[in-house]
This record gives sequence, structure tokens and C-alpha cells, in this order.
Amino acid sequence: MSLIDLENVSKIYQVGDQEIRALDQIHLRIEAGEFVAIIGPSGSGKSTVMHLMGCLDTPSTGRMVICGNELSRATPDQLARVRNQEIGFVFQAFNLLPKLDVVSNIELPLIYSGVPAAQRRERARKVACEVGLGDRLSNRPPQLSGGQCQRVAIARALVNNPQIIFADEPTGNLDSATGLAILGMFDELNASGKTIVLVTHDPSIAARSRRVIEIRDGHIVREYQP
Amino acid sequence: MSLLVVFQIGIREIAAHKFRSVLSMLGIVLGVSSLIATMALTRGMEEGTRTFMQQLGGLELVTIAEKNPSSLKMDFANLSPGLTLRDAEVIRESASLISHVSPEILISSLVSSFGQSGTRERRTVRGIYPDHFVIRMHQIGAGRFLSDLDVQRGARCVVLGNTVAKQLWPDVSIGSIIGKKVLIGTSPFEVVGVLDFYQSEEQARMRRSGKTSMRWKWDPFRVKNEAVLIPFTTLFHEFRSGAGSNEKTDSSKRNDSTELKKSNETKESNKRNDSIDSINLDTLIVRVRDLEYFRPALDQLRKLLDITHRGVDDFDFETREDWFDRVESSVRAARLSGGLISAISLVVGGIGIMNIMLASISERVREIGIRMAVGARPKDIFLQIIIEGMFISLIGAFLGIGASLGLIEILKLISPTENVPVLSWEGVLFSVVFALLAGLLSGIYPGLKAARLDPISALRYE
Ligand SMILES: Nc1ncnc2c1ncn2[C@@H]1O[C@H](COP(=O)(O)OP(=O)(O)OP(=O)(O)O)[C@@H](O)[C@H]1O
Ligand SMILES: [Mg+2]
Repeated sequence: MSLIDLENVSKIYQVGDQEIRALDQIHLRIEAGEFVAIIGPSGSGKSTVMHLMGCLDTPSTGRMVICGNELSRATPDQLARVRNQEIGFVFQAFNLLPKLDVVSNIELPLIYSGVPAAQRRERARKVACEVGLGDRLSNRPPQLSGGQCQRVAIARALVNNPQIIFADEPTGNLDSATGLAILGMFDELNASGKTIVLVTHDPSIAARSRRVIEIRDGHIVREYQP
Repeated sequence: MSLLVVFQIGIREIAAHKFRSVLSMLGIVLGVSSLIATMALTRGMEEGTRTFMQQLGGLELVTIAEKNPSSLKMDFANLSPGLTLRDAEVIRESASLISHVSPEILISSLVSSFGQSGTRERRTVRGIYPDHFVIRMHQIGAGRFLSDLDVQRGARCVVLGNTVAKQLWPDVSIGSIIGKKVLIGTSPFEVVGVLDFYQSEEQARMRRSGKTSMRWKWDPFRVKNEAVLIPFTTLFHEFRSGAGSNEKTDSSKRNDSTELKKSNETKESNKRNDSIDSINLDTLIVRVRDLEYFRPALDQLRKLLDITHRGVDDFDFETREDWFDRVESSVRAARLSGGLISAISLVVGGIGIMNIMLASISERVREIGIRMAVGARPKDIFLQIIIEGMFISLIGAFLGIGASLGLIEILKLISPTENVPVLSWEGVLFSVVFALLAGLLSGIYPGLKAARLDPISALRYE
């Protein structure tokens, strides 16, 4: 069975009496271990499909199975559990808690899976060292550079050892050199067996993946291997 | 997600907004402190009255006194012998709900110390039975109370109230007064006991601080402190004519005993030909065995006295129940109004907390989105907000307890009566529970609001 299976999925937003079809009857399967890039122009529906796959949202119609969980009509609690256990998220805007230090930010998912405090900090420290932040453990995000912040975000996405990492324009706020370093980390993660889904509008970044899915106006218009 | 973590997050959040949090606590602080202070005050009122009444003889004391019979029975009034020693005997033997009985007769006589300097004053001398000490709740300061033997023998011994003893022998310790002689009228009596000095809390406080109150005040303990108590029989045989007070002499129902006039105040009146029916009493005090059976005890008394008085209702009961009822109801009123004020401030405090929590979540929408994105369930977010609200109210409650302790100290200084506020732990517990409840209720709406946030829009929120 596929890790991610979208069948005939639509996402429709109702704004006033206007109906916005952000996604229109999409079929998409992603297998374990794949490195997929989703590209398309702004407003095409890339983030929307990411949010669905990332269990931050549910489809308006269609069937969605993530890591073996049928989630088309899932309750918020079910979605939260899948987000916590199976999925790691990396955002363009980092989305770190500015008041918490690096370790506390990284251990956040473990809090919600009920890991005891000592173990939590231990695992958070270990992952922080893996992403190269071993010397900034007690810094808070405002004291870090953009690249370092994104490393914290990646560490947070990894700390609960999920199967899939979703990254929505992870290099969008970074200069190209730093961006390349971050992309290198995704390569490594994919090599170590994680499934990576990366959203970008930059074809050169998409070219680093194994499979590119192009979206336009809520439809998958093209799919190719770079 | 463990509660410990929730608490940690809550503490961090409150610590990050100290001033705001303290402001939002103010209502709770006020509510809790006024609630505790009110309960301490009313408790003080209650306890003050209770000890006061205990010292005066408690609720159990019933005084039986003569009164004019109702007009209906006026015609038979002569049939009744009046209040006599017989009544006391009958009550002692037959009234199962009465534990102690003391028949009493009074005279007014000059009392002086034998051959010493002290005062020579006219005082009320009571002829009593030993039960008197129990009924009036006397404490012996030195020596002993009067005994049954003293009454049987008609012994010439006396127990003095503390003030009397001090006035008779101003420079002598109470202990060394025992054994000294007192002149009551012209008869010498041996002092066998001196009673404790009775005073209210307030009087004690004033005495300790060296202040003396200039204004005159009704002193309920004066009667006890100025008591001169001798055996009933002694008084009867020594001073009988003085006992059946003079205005009663012309009352027709009095026959043989009234013949004993002041002139007969001699030893030969000692002959025991007086039947107990003919020994008239001034008062009869009794102690009800059990307050639970107060009313039945009164009924029992009334039935017995109806027989001995041949159906003439020329007696009356004085109880302290009415008085106590009045005190109780004023305490209730005070408690209610204080409680109402506290409840209002707690509600206002709760609204204050709700306001702060709402402000707090709208500031933290993004944080909530992030927590949801990494796996926080709606109920985790809800719990977080609820715990924070309760935490603020708990801190407020503790500050309120601190404030109430200070408030009670101030109230102690200025409280005009002996009703010193008494801090009650039930009050503290009650107000903390109340404050927590206010925190809980005020957290529910903001908590629901936060928990219902949609992760995506929360993440996008600027
Ligand atoms: N909550 C919403 N309500 C209404 N319309 C929405 C909502 N979210 C997204 N849309 C619409 O859905 C469409 C797809 O949006 P989406 O965010 O997926 O685009 P995107 O491909 O991620 O664009 P970008 O590259 O700019 O991030 C857009 O037309 C957007 O206006
Ligand atoms: Mg987008």
C-alpha cells in the first residue's frame, strides 16, 4: 500500500457566494522512500495539497489515506495523532516558538506524545547535534540566523522519528548558499530512508528530487522525473 | 501530555506577563481576602457570643422566677405557695431533663473584713446550693467551692467573688485570703474559696495593654465578680427575715415565714420547724441536662411546677435562647452580605481572568497553530488555557490569603467588641476552592475558543 494515497480529492473554499476550487479531483500516490517535489505558480494549490497530506486539513471530497490511516473524515484528534507520530513539517517561515530555546523547540512534538521530560531533552539534544546545532542548544530563535532556525525546524520535524517530512518552500526565506545546505540535508534524510515531499516554485530546486509533480489551478498538469 | 508540562507552560506564560497577570488577579485577591475576612469576622462574632454566654452560664441555664399570675388565675393565686424550696426538691427528684438545681435567697447586707482596713460595703449575699457553681460556671481561684456538707450543717463559710476579695483585702494574694474572716452584717464567716476573675477578651486586652477605658460599659461579669455566696441554709437561718424581701411581706400568701422579722435575727430561729413548703425562694436556677432536649425540659419543669403551685401560673422561665437566636440571625445576615460581596468580587475576578486569557490567546494564535502542527490535540490546547486560568486564580487566591491575614490583624486592632475575628481554615479552603472555580469557569470560553482554532489559519495568523 502507498504511504500517501489521494483519490479524487477536492478542496473547495467557500468565500461569500464564490466557490474556490483550490484542488480539483486530484489523484496522487506517493510511496515510502520517495523524494517528491511539487511545483507550480503561486496560487496553484501547492500548499493546499501539502496541508491535506500533512493532516493539517481534511479534503472537501475524495478519499485520503496517510500511512495506512483513512483520514477523509478524520476527527481533529485523529489528525493530531498522525501529525504527531508520522509526519514532520518544515515551513518557509520556520514557525518556531520565539520564547523557547532550541532544545525546548525541538522537543515540542515529544511533549504531545507523552515522552517523559528527561528522555525528551535527551532526544532533542541528540537531534540538535545531528543538524549541527550542538553549540546553540540554549539559544532562542531570535538569537539565531535564518539557516540555523530552519535547522531547528528540521530537527523538530525529525525528533519523533516520522516516516514523512513535508517542507513548504523551506528555502524561501534563505539566501542561496544557506538554502543549498538545507536542501543537502533533505538529500541526506531521503538517503537515510525518509519520504520527502517538498513544495517549491523554483525548477532548479525541484530538479534535485526524484519525481516532480506540477500543479496548475488545482489540477496536476504534469509529472516527470528530472 | 503530562500535567507537569502543562503547568510548566502555564508558569512560563504567566511569568512572561507578570504585570498583566497580577492585574487580572486583583479581583480574585479581593474576593478571596474579603471572603476569608468575612468568615473570620462572623466566626469571631459567633465565638465571642458563645464564650460570653458560656461564662455567664451558657444556654443550659434557666432561671425560674416568680411573676404575677395571669388575670384568669388571679382568684386562685392564694392557693399557690409561691416559689419554695419544695419546688427545688421536686425538680431535683423528678425532672429527668434537669441536671442541676440551685434554690437561692438573697439579702442585702454590709460586708467587711474582720478587723481589717478594707472596704465596708452593702452587697448582695446569696444563699445557694453547691449546684450554683456548676450552673453559673464558676471557676475557683483559690480554696474550694461550698459543699453539700456546708449546706447540711448550715456552716458559716463563704465563697467570695474576685473583686469582693480584692476590695476587702487589697494588698493580699488571693491564696492567703482563704481562712480569713468576713463579717456579713454582724456574723463572722470563714472564707473558704475565692472565685476566678472573670473578664471579656476586650477587658483582658485593655488590662494587658495598660489602658483603662474611661467610658462606662455594661459589665456582664460584674455580678459574678462581686458575688458573696454562702450556704442556703446558713442564709436562711441567720438572715431569714432579710431574705423574704419586705415588699412581699404584705402579700397574703405569705404566712408563717413572714413573722420572722429583722428583730428575730438571732440564733434561736435555728430551729427546724420550717417545712420546705414554707421556705420561699427569690430565684431558682437550673441547668438543662442536654440542649437537644431544651424544650422538653422546659415542659417538664412547667408540669412539675403546675402541680406544686396548684395550677397557678405565678412562675416564669428566663432562658437565653431568644438572645442567642438574635445573635445567630445577625451573624447569618453578616455572613450573607459578606459572602455576597466576596462572591461578586470573585465573579468580577473571574471575568478579569477571562479577559486576560482571551487577550492571551489572541496573542498566541500562532503559537497554538505551531503546537497543533506538531501534534497538540484540541483538548491539549483547552487544558493548557484552563490550567493557566486556574493558575492565575490560584496565585490570586494565595495573595488573597496573605492579604486577608493582614486584614484580619487590622480588624483585630479596631474591632470594638470582644468578637475578635477568628481565622477559620474552612474559610480559607472554601475561598480557595471558590477562586479555583472562578478560574476554571473563566478559562472555559477562551479555552474552547483556542481549541477550536484551525491549525492552518492559526499558522498563517500574523
Ligand atoms: N482559507 C482559504 N479560503 C479561501 N481560499 C483559499 C484559502 N486557502 C487557500 N485558498 C485559495 O486556494 C488557492 C490555492 O492556494 P495555495 O495556498 O495552495 O497556493 P500555493 O500554490 O501554495 O501558492 P504560493 O506559491 O503563493 O504559496 C488560492 O487561489 C487561494 O486563494
Ligand atoms: Mg504556498
